[in-house]
Amino acid sequence: MKTLIVIREKDYAWLLPFFPGVHPLVVPICNKPFIEFLIDFAIFAGSKSVRIVSDGPLRSVEAYGQTGSRWGIELGYASIQPEDSFEKIMGKNRKYASEGRLLVISGFMFIAYRNKEELGSYFSTAPAGTLLQHTLGSVSLTGMPATEGAVPDTVPFTISGLDSIASYHRLNADILKELPSPYVLPGYSNEPDCHIGRNVVISKGAEVIKPVVIGNNVQIMKGAVVGPFAVVGSNVIIDSESTVSGSVLLDNTYIGEQLDVIDRIASGNMLIEPETGISIVMEDPHLLTGINSPNLSGAGLLRYLVHAGIAVLLILLLSVPFLLLFPLLKLRGKWITKRKTCFGESHQSTISLAFPSISGNGVLCTLAEALSLDRFPLLFKVLEGRIAVIGSNPQETGGNTGRYPSLAAGYRPALYSYAEAEDWPVNSEEGAIVERYFASHGGLFQDLVLVVKAFLNRMHSKDRQ
Amino acid sequence: MIINKKTGSGITIIAPAGRLDAATAEDFLKSSSALTDPQSIVIDFSGIDFIDSSGLGTLVGIAREKRRADADVKLACLNEKARMVFETTQAFRLFDIYDDADTAAEAAAKS
Repeated sequence: MKTLIVIREKDYAWLLPFFPGVHPLVVPICNKPFIEFLIDFAIFAGSKSVRIVSDGPLRSVEAYGQTGSRWGIELGYASIQPEDSFEKIMGKNRKYASEGRLLVISGFMFIAYRNKEELGSYFSTAPAGTLLQHTLGSVSLTGMPATEGAVPDTVPFTISGLDSIASYHRLNADILKELPSPYVLPGYSNEPDCHIGRNVVISKGAEVIKPVVIGNNVQIMKGAVVGPFAVVGSNVIIDSESTVSGSVLLDNTYIGEQLDVIDRIASGNMLIEPETGISIVMEDPHLLTGINSPNLSGAGLLRYLVHAGIAVLLILLLSVPFLLLFPLLKLRGKWITKRKTCFGESHQSTISLAFPSISGNGVLCTLAEALSLDRFPLLFKVLEGRIAVIGSNPQETGGNTGRYPSLAAGYRPALYSYAEAEDWPVNSEEGAIVERYFASHGGLFQDLVLVVKAFLNRMHSKDRQ
Repeated sequence: MIINKKTGSGITIIAPAGRLDAATAEDFLKSSSALTDPQSIVIDFSGIDFIDSSGLGTLVGIAREKRRADADVKLACLNEKARMVFETTQAFRLFDIYDDADTAAEAAAKS
């Protein structure tokens, strides 16, 4: 048997603002990526091959699941369009679906079951057709069963809705309630309701109350109380005399001293109240902080040095024309600056950038634009390491595209975009494709060449006008 | 560049082989007559082992022209390397991608 998992971007879009930068299919539930629960279900049902189909990006899902060898199955990926009907999706995967039975899981939902052994025997005799239907999706089968036998009266699994942050929080608690758990949860487990990962330090005086799931590299300091119903991700520090219960702490979170985190979700420096969906971004680094460090080592440092070097050269080249033209344009009201908040390169970060625009058609305006003087102030952001000289067009956080740049490969806000260098329209779908191509395939030398091309392209575009 | 052509469901299936990059993109456009054929076409990627931004640009250009003429271009049989380029650049949002050229031709004939 094979399994087709069909998940549409619109079904999980609600999750993106809560966990920016994390693909919803790999958002952890009890420290295990969501997609792995569906893969487990397919395997218990008897599948040897699983294909994940989506109209959204699957890159990070593929990076996690790879070929599926860790589960002993063949794992593949395919793309569809948002408007594709069920029949069209089956057509696009006809070759895959043509041999034997096919289990189709459609929708962003959690499949709950009590006994994994029952699944194999059920699917070996279950008839073709829709087995379960839910407002959020369905589970169906195609093809005839290999063995003939009595069809079980009841379906041994149910669909749990996953359509709000409250349902996400509830699901974590429900999985912890199941005893003995039918799900394979990560970590060492000597008791059925307590899973603890590697390198977990529980200091003297700290208390862990079951049921809990704790990830890898976790420090629970003295006097801290963790549980009951706590899910603690990996690389988490819970500082002394803090309490975490009924809560989900995602990876890389620091809970400061003497804090009570009760019935909440903590993701980096964001604290979410599940029932209302209200989230607070904690500014004080001593309270609750993402512990990711900026990538200024190795390749990141080398890239910064090269880009900063190019920025210094451009500053030296453009400073005299800027100092001459800027006051004249400003006085004539032709130099207008707008400040925008854009997504930064690293996980969950934002940057405030000033974007000058030059309005008018005079000689001075043309000259200033041809020399890229409107980009001159951004050169100092390159020196600060906030943006690159060449990379992606900075995307505003207020944009309602529903697509988070951090889900795309190699998003790096920059002074010039790769699309400008290749002479594609910057804000078009084609321009975005070019940006993503070079972001993942480019190198430092190529960056240098493309900066020159982008600079010259702006001159030529002004010539053409 | 070697380009094989066949017909399925009355639709031309173009199957280029080798690389689709800056060096071959123009040759592909001329030899395949992808732009001169007024009908929808299917491009079978089973023989393509490398595609770069110029190759992608060519495909986007063909798609734009076809859609302007009320036709379409469907892609089929992307191997892992080509699929990764479409995934990385999110070019998959612009094309219907099938795992079988004949089914793609059927769909193109219906649309």
